[in-house]
Amino acid sequence: MSVITLDHVTKKYGDTVVLSDFTDEFGDGEFITLLGPSGCGKTTMLRMIAGFEKPTTGEIRIDGVTVSSADTFVPPEKRGLGMVFQSYAVWPHMNVFNNVAYPLKIRKVPKEEIREKVEKVLETVHLSQYAKRMPSALSGGQQQRVALARALVAEPKVLLLDEPLSNLDAKLRECMRFEIKEIQERLHISIIYVTHDQSEAMTMSDRVFVINSGVLQQSGTPTEIYRSPKNQFVADFVGKVNFLKGISEGGKIKISGIDETLDYSGDLTGEVDIAVRPENIRIVRENAHLHGKLVSEFFTGDSDDCRISVGESVLRVIADASVYGKYSPDDTIGLVINDMLVFPPASDDLRKIMT
Amino acid sequence: MEKKRKFYFDIKWLFIIAIVGFLLVFQVFPLLYLVIRAFFVDGQFTTDAFTRIYSSDINLSCVLNTLVAASLSMVFGVLIALPLAFLVGRTNLYGRSLFRSLFLMTYMVPPYVGAMAWLRLLNPKVGTLNMLLMNVFGLSDAPFNIYSIPGLVWVLTTFYYPYAFITLSRAMENMDPSLEESARISGSSPLKTLFTVTLPLMLPSIAASALLVFVAAASCYGIPSIIGAPAKIYTITTRIVDYVYIGSADGLTDATVLAVFLMVLALVILFISNFVIGRRDYIMISGKSVRPNIVDLGKWRLPLTILVGLFAVVVIVIPFISVFATSFTVNMGKSVFEDGNFTLKYWETIFSRSSIRSSTGNSIITSVCAASFGMIICIIMAYLLKRTNVPGRKIPDFLITVGSGTPSVAIALALIMTMSGRFGINIYNTIWIMIIAYMIKYMLMGMRTVVSALSQVSPSLEEAAQVSGAGWLRRLKDVMFPLITPSVVAGWFLIFMPCFYELTMSNMLYSDKTKSLGIELYQYQTYHSQQTAAALAGGILILVVVLNVIMNKVTKGKFSI
Repeated sequence: MSVITLDHVTKKYGDTVVLSDFTDEFGDGEFITLLGPSGCGKTTMLRMIAGFEKPTTGEIRIDGVTVSSADTFVPPEKRGLGMVFQSYAVWPHMNVFNNVAYPLKIRKVPKEEIREKVEKVLETVHLSQYAKRMPSALSGGQQQRVALARALVAEPKVLLLDEPLSNLDAKLRECMRFEIKEIQERLHISIIYVTHDQSEAMTMSDRVFVINSGVLQQSGTPTEIYRSPKNQFVADFVGKVNFLKGISEGGKIKISGIDETLDYSGDLTGEVDIAVRPENIRIVRENAHLHGKLVSEFFTGDSDDCRISVGESVLRVIADASVYGKYSPDDTIGLVINDMLVFPPASDDLRKIMT
Repeated sequence: MEKKRKFYFDIKWLFIIAIVGFLLVFQVFPLLYLVIRAFFVDGQFTTDAFTRIYSSDINLSCVLNTLVAASLSMVFGVLIALPLAFLVGRTNLYGRSLFRSLFLMTYMVPPYVGAMAWLRLLNPKVGTLNMLLMNVFGLSDAPFNIYSIPGLVWVLTTFYYPYAFITLSRAMENMDPSLEESARISGSSPLKTLFTVTLPLMLPSIAASALLVFVAAASCYGIPSIIGAPAKIYTITTRIVDYVYIGSADGLTDATVLAVFLMVLALVILFISNFVIGRRDYIMISGKSVRPNIVDLGKWRLPLTILVGLFAVVVIVIPFISVFATSFTVNMGKSVFEDGNFTLKYWETIFSRSSIRSSTGNSIITSVCAASFGMIICIIMAYLLKRTNVPGRKIPDFLITVGSGTPSVAIALALIMTMSGRFGINIYNTIWIMIIAYMIKYMLMGMRTVVSALSQVSPSLEEAAQVSGAGWLRRLKDVMFPLITPSVVAGWFLIFMPCFYELTMSNMLYSDKTKSLGIELYQYQTYHSQQTAAALAGGILILVVVLNVIMNKVTKGKFSI
C-alpha cells in the first residue's frame, strides 16, 4: 500500500505562484506522469513530495500519514522514498557498488544482506559487471541506471523520477522507457514521473497530469488526454494539432476566411477554435469537406508531410506516402476531416507553449 | 600554387614568440640561474648547497621557523576557513553577504598592515588588547606576546585563511545539490550527509586550499619581518633579504640556497595541487540547479551568527580600527580618546612630505605599467589558449602559473643576480626591474580572469565574424574585446592592487630613486614613526575599498575582490 495524497497544495516563491491549489491522490502501483513545459511547476511538485521543498499551504500525506502541513514536516530522509535526479547525482567518490549500497548502509542493514540486495538490483538494471567501477568510467546511460538502482535498492514505496531520461540520446531513451515500465510492473511500486516529453508520458503512464504555469490543465489516462483534451493548451502540448478559427451556427461551423463549412453536432455557438490532429485529415479527389492549396510537402519515407493553406491558416496534414508528388504547389486540394475538437475561443496565451 | 598556399605566415606565432621570449629572458633564465648558482660554485658542481642549509645554525633555524610557522598557519587556516565557508555559503546564517565581503577584504589588504595592527594590539608592554585584558582581569603580566612563534602564526593565520576560504567557498557552492539530495532521499540525515557526501567530495579542494595557505605563509615577508625581527625570529624570507642587504659573496650564496629551497618547495606544492589533486577534483557544475542547498541551522542560527560575528570583529574589525586609531594618536602609550591625544598631523604628513609623494608616484607608475603590460600579455595568451590550436599555446600559461607560484624573494633575488649587467642587460636600479618582477609575480590573476571570461563567450560568436571575412586581429577588436572588457578591467585592477603596495620584491630591488610606497611604509613603521606608517596603511585600506567598489560597479557585480 502506498498512496500519496496532495490536499490543496500551493507553492509560492514570494509573489510568484509556482503551483496553485493542487488536490489529487496517486494510487498504489500507479504510474503517474507530471507533464508540462519547463518552469510549469511539475518539478517543484515532485520536490515537495520528496521533502526538498515545503508547500506554502496545503497538506501532503503518504499512506495517510501527514508528511507536510502547516505544522508538520517530515524531512526527505524519513519519507522512505526513492528518487532519480535529472543529473543522476551519482557520487563520484564512491564506486558503483558503494553508490547503490548507500541507502542500505544508512539503514544499518547487515553486510551480507547489503551485498545480496545490491547484486540483485544491479542485475535488474543490467550493471552487474560494473560493480567495482568508478562513476567517471561509466557512460551517461550507465550512470543513469546506477541512479535508478540506488533509488530501488531499499525497496521504496514510491519512486520519484525527475526527467531521468532527458540527458540520454534518443535510442537509449526509448530503450530505458520500456525498462523503467517493466521494472515498475515487476516490483509493483508507484512511480511519479516528471517530464516535458509527451511521448514518454503517453507510453508509460497510467495517468497523466498536464500542468501549465502552475495550474493543472487536465488529468486522465493517456488516451483521454490525447483524444479529448480539455482545452487548446492540452491539445497542443500533447501530440500535434492544427488550429482553425470559425463561427458555429445551426449545426455548422463556417471556417474564417473561406466560404466553406463543417458539420458540427456539439452545442457551442458563435466564435470557436477548431483543433484537428494531422492524422485525422485525409486528402481526397471528391466529396471534400474543405479545399485548400498545397504550400509544401516533405517526403518522410512512410508518409507525406504536407502544409496546406486553408483560409487564414496553414494545416499540417500527414498524408499517405503515395500522395507525394501528385500535386504541384498552388494546386487545389480536397480535404476530409475525420475527427475534430471544438473549443470556445481562447486567448493566445492558452495556446502558447512556454518552453 | 598549392605549395605557396600551404606556406602562409601565421601572425599568432609572432605573439607567442614575443611573449615566450620575454618570459624566457626575464623569468626562466633568472630562476634557472638561481638554481645553477646554488649548485655550481666557480664552475664546479657541489652539494654544498645542502650542507649550507643544515650546517649553519642561522640557516637551519630560519628553515625550521618557516616550516613550523607555515604548517601551523595551514592547519589553523583550514580549520577556520572550512566551517566559515560552510556557514557563509551553505546555511541560513544571518548577514552572509556581509561576512563574505569582510572575509574576502582581508585578501586584498597588504599583509604587513595586519602585522602592524597586531603589533599595536598585542605588544607585550603597551599592546592595547593586552592592557585591556590586564585591567579587566587584574593580571600582572601581559597575557599575549606578539613577538613569538605563536604570535607569528596568529597573524599569518588571520591573513591567509581567506585564501582557503575562497577556494572552499567556491567548491561548496559549485557542488551539484542533487548529490546531497540523493543522500537525503536515501535516508541520510543532514549531518550524516555532510560527513559521507559533502566533505569527501570536498577533500581535493581542502587539500589544495591547505597547500595554498602553506605556500603563502612560507613565502610571506611582510609579516615575519615586522613581527619576527624584533623577537629575533627569522624565517627564510627575512634571512634572504638580510643577506642581500649585507651583500657579501658568502651571504649571497646563502641567500641563493635558501631561495632555491623555498622556490622548490613552493613549486613542488604548486605541482601537487594543480596536477595531482586537480585531477581528482570531483566538483562538477551541473546544468540544472545552480542554487546550492541551504541548510537550516534552526535554533543554532543566532548563536552561530554571533560566533562568526565575534570572529570577524576580532580578526578584521579590531585590527583595522587599531590601524586608523594609531594614525590619529599623538602619544602611543595613551588612548586616542584622551584629551589632546588626537591629531591629524600624520595624515597631513603623508600628503605633504615630498619623499612619500615621490614614492607614491613611483608606485603608481610601476603598478600601472605592470598591470597594463601584464593585461596585454594575458589577453593575447588567454585568447590563444582558449580559442586556437596553435602548438605551444600552453607554454606561456604554464610559465605564468610558475611565475606566480614562485616566492617573491626568489624572483627578486634572481633578477638582481642576472639583470645587473653580467649578462648584457642592466636594468638594476631602474623602475623596469620592479615592473618586470611585479608582472612575473602577479600576471596570473589577470590571466585567470580573462580565461574565465573567454570560456563563457561562445566561440560561435567569433566564428560568425570569421565567416563574414574578418581576420584574427580584426575579430579580436570587433567581437572579443567588447565582450570581455569588464573582465579585462577587473583583471587590470587585480594586478594593479597588489603591485601598488608590494613590499617584498620592492624592498630588494629599489634604489633611492625608485623607492615604492610599500618600502616607505615599512621604513616608517620600523625606524621613524608608527603613526605615519599607520596613516599610510589607512590610506591604502581606503584605496583598496574604493577601487573595489569601482570594480564592482564597472563589472556589474561580477568581480570584486
